Amino acid sequence: MGLESYLPETGVVTTTLESVVNWSRKNSVWPLLFGLACCAIEMITTGTSRHDIARFGSELFRASPRQADLMIVAGRVSNKMAPAIKRLYDEMAEPKWVIAMGICATAGGPFNNYAIVQGVDKIIPVDVYAPGCPPRPEALLYALTKLQEKIDREHLRDHYPQAQPEKTEAGVYVANTADLPPLP
Amino acid sequence: MTDPIAAVRQAFPDALLATEEAFGSPVITIKPESLLEVGRFLRDDPELNYDLLSSLTVVDRLKLPDYNASEARFVGVYHLRSVARDGDLLEIKTPLPGGDEPVAPSVTGIWPAANWHEREAYDLMGVTYDGHPDLRRILLPNDWSGHPLRKDMPLGGERVPFTVTWDDEEFKHLGKQIMQPEQRLEPVPAGMDPKHMILNMGPQHPSTHGVLRLIVELDGERVKNVEPDIGYLHSGFEKQAENVRYKDFVYYTDRMDYVSAMQNNLSYCVAVEKMLGIEVPDRAQTIRVIMAELQRIASHLVWLGTHALDVSGTGHALLMYAFREREEIMDLFEMACGARLTTSYMRIGGVSDDLPPAFIPRMLEFLDMMDKRLVEYEEMLDENPLWRKRLQGIGYLSKKDAIAMGVTGPMLRGSGVKYDLRRARPYCGYEKYDFEIPTSDLGDSYGRYLVRMAEMKQSVRILRQAAAMLPEGDYLLDDPKITPPNRDLLDQSMEALIRHFKLFTEGLTPAPGEVYRGIEASKGEMGFYIVSDGGAHPYRMHIRTPSFANLQSISMMSKGHLLSDVVVVIGTIDIVLGDVDR
Repeated sequence: MGLESYLPETGVVTTTLESVVNWSRKNSVWPLLFGLACCAIEMITTGTSRHDIARFGSELFRASPRQADLMIVAGRVSNKMAPAIKRLYDEMAEPKWVIAMGICATAGGPFNNYAIVQGVDKIIPVDVYAPGCPPRPEALLYALTKLQEKIDREHLRDHYPQAQPEKTEAGVYVANTADLPPLP
Repeated sequence: MTDPIAAVRQAFPDALLATEEAFGSPVITIKPESLLEVGRFLRDDPELNYDLLSSLTVVDRLKLPDYNASEARFVGVYHLRSVARDGDLLEIKTPLPGGDEPVAPSVTGIWPAANWHEREAYDLMGVTYDGHPDLRRILLPNDWSGHPLRKDMPLGGERVPFTVTWDDEEFKHLGKQIMQPEQRLEPVPAGMDPKHMILNMGPQHPSTHGVLRLIVELDGERVKNVEPDIGYLHSGFEKQAENVRYKDFVYYTDRMDYVSAMQNNLSYCVAVEKMLGIEVPDRAQTIRVIMAELQRIASHLVWLGTHALDVSGTGHALLMYAFREREEIMDLFEMACGARLTTSYMRIGGVSDDLPPAFIPRMLEFLDMMDKRLVEYEEMLDENPLWRKRLQGIGYLSKKDAIAMGVTGPMLRGSGVKYDLRRARPYCGYEKYDFEIPTSDLGDSYGRYLVRMAEMKQSVRILRQAAAMLPEGDYLLDDPKITPPNRDLLDQSMEALIRHFKLFTEGLTPAPGEVYRGIEASKGEMGFYIVSDGGAHPYRMHIRTPSFANLQSISMMSKGHLLSDVVVVIGTIDIVLGDVDR
């Protein structure tokens, strides 16, 4: 009943490498075991029996950023915590993705004050924003499936470091192709 | 009944500046130079025995209407309780000399619990405490400039949302930190021997239950010293409170101790209601008790699940079980108010909505199930050799130390002190319920485990009684100055529309004054100290959170144990970082 039943008798399927890689990546997104505030409790709830994030291949919350693919920023980002989050993100290996869970991680939420960074996207790039205060576990799962859709559309080339575009005198950005790494 | 005012007047006739009565509890104003003498007298006098420092804070009087520049700008406020005399509350106020750079004598010698509270006041208000052993910032980063709770400091944030970028002057401070994170690494904390191994734990660590950072000094595997570094979730609640209306702050209180949002709501509403001098309808009181006790069970379930997960291999199963039961409580909350975690169910004057008819039968079903499940948990853990070995004798806190460190809640009862504000200072009609206060004389993590398990059973008991006695009537007080009218009336009655409009544009305005009210939240005493200047916003709000006070004793509890036991100690304190850092 699995994949085998769809295979032709010869056992050969033609597809692109990209779609196979994306297919395996999107179904085993391991999140970083890392919570900040209220949303973290809903994140834990998502991992427990009723909501069971294992159905989406993301039950392995890794405590080490080296082993994680996904950072779920669950809660408000304080000025004191921001450097640590940035460092954690930098420590994660490519390819990596970020979900900003809840309104605080998205845009500061109700805390427009001296202590809170107005959105985690000021320090790290965000792939999916999950609205809510906090988002329900279902909303987080929806965000995860949205991320999976996004991963499915990715190109292998996206995860290679890009050369910084140079600004010409005319004000036009021109990619410096000489610095690009060779394709594998 | 002992009268602290008369006693102080008799013993220190020169030190007393003023006395008053604020909503039933005595307030004395004394000269700053006699603070230590009076404090020691209040603690040691066998009649008075104010041995628990509940909260310590400072009020900046700069923007108060009756402030003139010739008097002291900063006033130190101390809330003392006597554990032996049922939590009898006394407030001491003292004007601090030094003008814009105030100085106060440190009371750490009298109440060791003052240590972190004074560091917080130094950090946020800029008060220097003479004789403090380790005065430095506690919540904000070390290189922060200024003291945000001062009245001449702006709220901060972005005036026009999402416009500030890295290039802006306002963002320079934060930008500097992010570009050079190595600058923020601190040297070895004071009191630690660099010859030993200094280990950093957190702020991202699975066992720290959030963003707690611990600096651990190790001799081999033995813990010599633990230095918590907190503030990674500091969100400026107190400053924010000064900028929102009373009614709107209910919404913020959810987000402090986010695993017991109902208790926070309740604590805040009780304080404001005291200030307004209103009585909440009976039905609302009973609904509040139901919600508070359900929340206590939910909070203890989170503690049980995460603690067991940290401690032993059976824990992962227990986490799943505990959260399964917790989901049932979340469903009940959802029935009542539509929200799961951040409920905002309580309102000043009652609760936001009546209980739906299906609520009580569903709750009774849950309670029947909970009875059996609690027995199941105990069967899993009580005689479990791994669980016992890892908990027994770990994190011992004696009765005396617990009180001196300002520890409250299940932590204090786990050290054998029979002290519970629900019984000692009843609120919401807790005097009507028949329940016991579980204590344990063990004083270690296992004792606290026993206390919390027994507390869940008592909560179930209270809930059954509350369901039986739930009276008919209003769920919200009907007072045009305080509560909005019934929504159905809005398109029928002009008066109702005006009342609604006035309330939602102007807000409610308590008379000038101040109030401190504490309730027994899931983790200990949760108290709100509110100063009103007669306006629609609180003039100053200080929040006494249980986790902040309880976490302070971690160093005392971990010394001499193994590194892995530090994890047990964190679990047994049952901290929530939103509650610690505010």
